[in-house]
Amino acid sequence: MNPVALPLNYNLVQLLELRACVFLHCCSSSLHFTKLICLFVCLFCSGVKDGKFTVLQLVEALGSSLTSSQPHTRARGVLLLSEVLQECYRDLTEREVEVLIAFYENRLKDHYVVTPPVLKGLKELTKCTNLPPGSAVSMLRSVFQDIHVQVRLSYCCTFKGLGADFVFGFVQSMDGERDPRNLLLAFQIAKNLIHRGYELGKFTEELFEVTSCYFPIDFSPPPNDPHGITREELVQALRAVLTGTPNFAEFLLPLLIEKLDSDVQSAKLDSLQTLAACVSQYEHKHVAEFLQGLWTAVRREVFQTSSERIESAGLAALTALTSCLSRSVLSSDSEDSLSTFLDFILTDCKHHLCEPDLKLVWPSAKLLQAACSASTSASHIITAAVMPSLLEQYNNRAQVIETADVHMFNWFNIGLFKYGFSVDEVVLTCRSLQRIAEQVQDTEEAGRCFHNIIIPHLLSLALQAALQGEKGSVKGLTSFILRHQNSFNLNLLSITYELTDFHPLSPEATTASRAVSLFLDGDVSFLPDNSFPSHMQLLKQEGDSWSLSRLVCLLMGSVCSLPRSVEVPQIDKLLSALEEMSCTCSHPLSYTSAAKCFAGLVNKKPQGDSLDSCACPQVSKALLLRYHPLFTTLTDKLFSLLDDAGLGPMAAADGFSLLMSDSTDVLNRACHADVRIMYRQRFFSENKAKLVQGFNAAPQEKKPNYLKALSNIVNKLPKQVQVTELPALLSLLLEALSGPDQDIHLTTLSCLEPVLVNPPQVLIQQLEALVNRLLALLCSPAMSVRIASLSCISALSYFPVLPFRARVLRALAKPLDDKKRLVRREAVQARAQWFLLGSPGGR
Amino acid sequence: MSEGTRLENANPVIFQRSGDRVQTASEEDEDVHDPIDDREIFDLIRSINDPEHPLSLEELNVVEQVRVKVNDAESTVGIEFTPTIPHCSMATLIGLSIKVKLLRSLPDRFKIDVCITPGTHASEEAVNKQLADKERVAAALENASLLEVVNQCLSTRSI
Repeated sequence: MNPVALPLNYNLVQLLELRACVFLHCCSSSLHFTKLICLFVCLFCSGVKDGKFTVLQLVEALGSSLTSSQPHTRARGVLLLSEVLQECYRDLTEREVEVLIAFYENRLKDHYVVTPPVLKGLKELTKCTNLPPGSAVSMLRSVFQDIHVQVRLSYCCTFKGLGADFVFGFVQSMDGERDPRNLLLAFQIAKNLIHRGYELGKFTEELFEVTSCYFPIDFSPPPNDPHGITREELVQALRAVLTGTPNFAEFLLPLLIEKLDSDVQSAKLDSLQTLAACVSQYEHKHVAEFLQGLWTAVRREVFQTSSERIESAGLAALTALTSCLSRSVLSSDSEDSLSTFLDFILTDCKHHLCEPDLKLVWPSAKLLQAACSASTSASHIITAAVMPSLLEQYNNRAQVIETADVHMFNWFNIGLFKYGFSVDEVVLTCRSLQRIAEQVQDTEEAGRCFHNIIIPHLLSLALQAALQGEKGSVKGLTSFILRHQNSFNLNLLSITYELTDFHPLSPEATTASRAVSLFLDGDVSFLPDNSFPSHMQLLKQEGDSWSLSRLVCLLMGSVCSLPRSVEVPQIDKLLSALEEMSCTCSHPLSYTSAAKCFAGLVNKKPQGDSLDSCACPQVSKALLLRYHPLFTTLTDKLFSLLDDAGLGPMAAADGFSLLMSDSTDVLNRACHADVRIMYRQRFFSENKAKLVQGFNAAPQEKKPNYLKALSNIVNKLPKQVQVTELPALLSLLLEALSGPDQDIHLTTLSCLEPVLVNPPQVLIQQLEALVNRLLALLCSPAMSVRIASLSCISALSYFPVLPFRARVLRALAKPLDDKKRLVRREAVQARAQWFLLGSPGGR
Repeated sequence: MSEGTRLENANPVIFQRSGDRVQTASEEDEDVHDPIDDREIFDLIRSINDPEHPLSLEELNVVEQVRVKVNDAESTVGIEFTPTIPHCSMATLIGLSIKVKLLRSLPDRFKIDVCITPGTHASEEAVNKQLADKERVAAALENASLLEVVNQCLSTRSI
């Protein structure tokens, strides 16, 4: 645009100058400045675009304002120019651009109020497509050198279009920089470079070099620093650069490994934190070749650390690294980096777990746990490798398991629970938890650990399994959980710290109330996994599906082992729901558990409340144990059942067995049940007359029921009682021995045996009958009966039985040839004893 | 019987007792027939006491399991026992104890053959002949003092 060539009606330049003067005046007063400047900008822009004058001429015309002594005036001048450039940059020639750049760069050295417009102008200039070579670099250089920090940042992101040249320029300009303000900005720019997808190209390594030479940051701010830059800011800024792209991985990882070797704590910490940050962006191919080195370094830090910060940074780094490896998609060619890495870890850490006296147990466990918590696949691999030896170790240890071990074990379990499970794993876990629960030290911490973490997890697992409702594997899983969780729940609840002043918020009360609200109201809020439907009816059976109702076992475990002083919430509602369930539900496990649960609660219920209930054996037992007056009515009912044709043999007789035997699940002392002393003896002595009478009065076919009941009762009596009571019942027992029922034979024989050690007189009188019976039993089809009979005969040899010797020896010849070795062994012993009877050198 | 308190073999070598037989699942199964085997016979005789020492025949290595041969199907059992010294005068007594124990412990159908391990005793032929003769054995057991000694050998000591 050569102004000379244009026809001019008036001297445009003069006009320009006039306008510029006006502008100058306007600049001096700040009134209405912004409106005026827009007007001027339009004027000048249209002028340039129309070719009436060039920008350079404009610059000249503005000379007076641009060289004014007032900074503000100069600023406005530059601002006007920059605004014009904003509109007209496309129309500039290369020569013009060159001049303008030089001008602007020069203006950078000016007063700080001038700087923003200058930068704006520079920004517009960079949009020019015909920038001379090297101008970007010189621009940057002057930007870096001459401008205050904060101002720079907002303008520098515009240089993107320059690509690799810019990167090169940037690298060059940054080299050797020392001022923290500049560095901060440089890091930020570099970060932007990386993040906004600049093509780093062949300058990747240079960019890395120039930034990484500052790592790790070693900076102490001078006192009274007006700029207030902290070390932490620099660290974070540099870290953002170094971790910004996977392209740096091959340089960064060796650098980190090297720096981890340093003695300076802050360097180590920085390296670990940077490592954790960088691998979150990387894939396995970036880290694969460095795995061994990284692991060695991290392990060293955790094993030998004296600082907790470094240890936790190391663990975090390990977790991040493991996550990174787990994330990778594996092609068929690539090596399984995750398992390689975990192999390193397991090789170094696993054996330490089994040496509980060395101090490396804890660090090893922490490392394993850190790796475990990274992902599902990692936790599966590690848990599968570690669990068996851990469990074996716990089994073999004679001493009590410390609380600390519970935590260690718990970590692995949490990993399992969080990341899903297979049947075998959960089975294994439950068993081990049970063992731990049995042996753990009785501390508050352990109790809390169990109640707040493990139990909700297990409950939700069981619920999940039940809700899935498939038969087969789920059934196995559920029933296993229920069977063992029951006992483990009971164990741990009874183990839990007993407070003398029972606090209503103690862990076991909390679990109980949570369980009650879960079962009665379907309240699932305390369970960790929130994907359960609300308001589930767990105490009702729905049609044929009993998968949910089975869970009443868990309720039993939660509420039935509380000390008597604890009040079970909503107990009446619970009792009636349980009663209904036990009477109406058709699934054996469900109704039995409901009955047991009911019984457990009833046993502890304070005196005086109405306890009308169905006469099932469990409830009777509950009442028997505490000797509730209502018990006698129930007992009479049971006795009357003995006469019943259908229920007599099975239910009634077994019922008596249940009454007398030790209950392993609910109604025992470990669950704080109300068990009065000598309840069995009391029961027996109060009821034996009735029993004998009933037997004598019963018709022949009902007699076996009475015998069965009798033998079940007597069998469970303490030995001393048996001995004293036996004479009264001897005829009954002899009768029992001659009946057809093998079970009765067995129970009667086992009662008899201890008595034969010190026989009462009445037995001596009945010897012949006894011998006859015993010899007859030698032909019993049941092996155990034959063996029991033989041992009784053996014991009899100490009595005055000489008259029977010949007969017995003859009779004992047959069992010598018995088809079972165990029987033969017993027969040999018995016969040898009898041979010695009355023989010289014998007895 | 030796005169006085002088023992013939004052310092015998003692062997270790083998542990109890391990019970297998099939032994507890009602329907499975357990045949009589060598170990079972050995268990019968190994705890027999030695007349002189407070030790069992097993501990003195007088009886060994390898020298027990039983055949349940053919109802035969053969025992070779090894006296501790070649001129042991207790040999006959020991042999008799073994024989009596087996007579008392095995079904009638069994033919019991007890003899001295060949080459271990000076008068093994004579002893074997005596032990094989049923009438001589029966006559020996009529002798009260002999029976007493045999019974003492056969009494089980508490371990």
